[in-house]
Amino acid sequence: MIPPNYFLILSIILFVLGVIAFFIKKDLLTMFMAVEVMLNATNLAFLSLARSANSIDGQVIVFFIITVAASEAAVGLAIILLVLRQKKTIKTEDIKLMKG
Amino acid sequence: MIELFLVFLVFGFLGAVLIFMNKFLGPTKTNPAKESPFECGSPYLQEGINPFPIKFYLVAFLFLLFDIEVVFFFPWALVFKEMGTTALVIMFAYMIVIVMGFIYAWKKGAFQWE
Amino acid sequence: MNSFFALFPLLIIVFIALAVLILEVFLKRENRDYLAYISLVFLVICAFVCIQFWNKAYYYFDGNLLLDQFALFFTFILLLSTGFVVLLSMKYISLQDVNYGEFYALLLLAVSGAIIMVSSPDLLVIILGLEVLSISSYALTGLKRKDELSSEAAIKYFLLGSFATAFLLFGLALLYGASHSTGIPTIIRYFNTEADLSLMALIGLGLIVIGFGFKIALVPFHMWTPDVYQGAPTPITAFFSVVPKAACFAIFLRIFYPFWKTAFDSQAIFWLLWGISVLTMVVGNLVALRQTNVKRILAYSSIAHAGYLLVALLAQDNSSLVFYLTVYLFMNMGAFAAVIALSKKDKEYLELEDYSGIGFKYPWIGVTLSIFLLSLAGFPPTGGFLAKFYVFSSAVRQGLVPLVIIGVLASLISVYYYLRIIVHMYMREPSREVDIVVENPALFLVLFLCLYGVLQLGLYPRNILVLINQAVSLL
Repeated sequence: MIPPNYFLILSIILFVLGVIAFFIKKDLLTMFMAVEVMLNATNLAFLSLARSANSIDGQVIVFFIITVAASEAAVGLAIILLVLRQKKTIKTEDIKLMKG
Repeated sequence: MIELFLVFLVFGFLGAVLIFMNKFLGPTKTNPAKESPFECGSPYLQEGINPFPIKFYLVAFLFLLFDIEVVFFFPWALVFKEMGTTALVIMFAYMIVIVMGFIYAWKKGAFQWE
Repeated sequence: MNSFFALFPLLIIVFIALAVLILEVFLKRENRDYLAYISLVFLVICAFVCIQFWNKAYYYFDGNLLLDQFALFFTFILLLSTGFVVLLSMKYISLQDVNYGEFYALLLLAVSGAIIMVSSPDLLVIILGLEVLSISSYALTGLKRKDELSSEAAIKYFLLGSFATAFLLFGLALLYGASHSTGIPTIIRYFNTEADLSLMALIGLGLIVIGFGFKIALVPFHMWTPDVYQGAPTPITAFFSVVPKAACFAIFLRIFYPFWKTAFDSQAIFWLLWGISVLTMVVGNLVALRQTNVKRILAYSSIAHAGYLLVALLAQDNSSLVFYLTVYLFMNMGAFAAVIALSKKDKEYLELEDYSGIGFKYPWIGVTLSIFLLSLAGFPPTGGFLAKFYVFSSAVRQGLVPLVIIGVLASLISVYYYLRIIVHMYMREPSREVDIVVENPALFLVLFLCLYGVLQLGLYPRNILVLINQAVSLL
């Protein structure tokens, strides 16, 4: 059997990849997907930690995180759509009305 | 275990080499003709992706939300026998919230496609 | 006492939010004002319930929902500021084309999230409450649908906010892995008893601090604040500047007060917060100097105030922190009320030049705004002075002299940009034509209530301090 710690390490790698992608991508949708990757990495971390702690709590928490991610996705995609309709673009460099 | 690891190592290395070899060895010169969408034939007349009605997005959002809400029924069903009435009351309150959201979406016309 | 009553404040707010949402689709457009009245009435009822529950310490869901005095006091603060925001929005939303019934529903849902946050000792519940607050806030920010600034603000807030949420949840995962629980008391106990502390728990706590730092707008994580404050509808800006801050600082108190009371050697976390506090005070005030948009000035000022609040947290003086938050509520709401007053149909006067000569043209707005700005800068006899005085003196007692020196210097800098607005109002010739809608009784009610609050807290703070001491004594 694969030890739960491996999954924890994988989740940390995924999380860091999400953070990096959030900063280097120039596209609202991809940045949002990076956040989703981070949330799913968190899910994996919770599952592996729940396994190594032998408790069920961590698995229940995953349900809540899935819900959080979904509701964020709904609101976020709606906002991205709003921006797309107004500006006809979702590149970050075109979103620059406010400075300072 | 170790054989598996070795297999991954070798083929991962090979894959990386093959991907990056292209980048190092291939010519990178470019010209306008090469950058155009079709190197032969006539120029394109319209965008490849046509916009489709915005209503579909709404349906997708609503599907996403109501789909995820159902996720809580599974753990609820597992503990229903032990918890009894309390579980029923809690799920009833939860259902009220969902139904209110549903009524709101319905009345706002999110389900009208025409 | 384990009782179903503990659910009452939340149930009231959530169900009235849903009812407003449903009513909105059945009401005619011209009857939308009723939604504001309904929201107000139920906010008052909920506040009344909170007062009745004082000293009762109800809890429910195995203690995951705990209405101790601390939670009740903060709930009251949150309800009060939401009530102010509702009053401020009544005229505003019809003038600025934000007149959607969802406005009030989202506002009530947001405050219900904040109430969940302050009334739970479990970090998972707290983060879920924060999500309810944040997701409603993203939608509220973008509610001015025809305005490009508003949707830009919404997208920025959304992306950085959900980024912060991911940090919070990952930090919680690490803390859960170390202490096998998400309850704050268990986590603190873990930090106390564990002889060789795992790196995992410390990183987890650090990530949690970063996540909440995003929501409070502490300095390395403040990038979204000015843009969001500028783009959002102004009453919502007032909401953002008070409610999430108050709720997140309540959580900080719940986490760090027991944390520092214990023997655990918490140097790393202490210096992390120390550095953040210095940066927040200095950067917030310095960048505010070169702003010309009043909403942005207030945004940077709210960042700087978060820095002063962190000083109170580091000085381990709970009552002065809560007092500062209370005063901050009144003065910031008041300042935003005056900014909202300077608007007419489809036009808001937000640039500094627009304020030239306002003081004589609209004396009431001028005088009240000046008092709120002086209070924000910390002049006696206003509440702002006393709040800063309490915070800095308790920090000196704790031996945080360098921090206090930086804080006092930073607040001296802040005097410049606050006074600049007042100078514009009274000592400049009016350069632009400004005509506003003056008949707005709800807004003037807020102005006078805030004025009363600021002066009362500045001149005679005894009563409220007694209440605050009761509230924080049980942490």
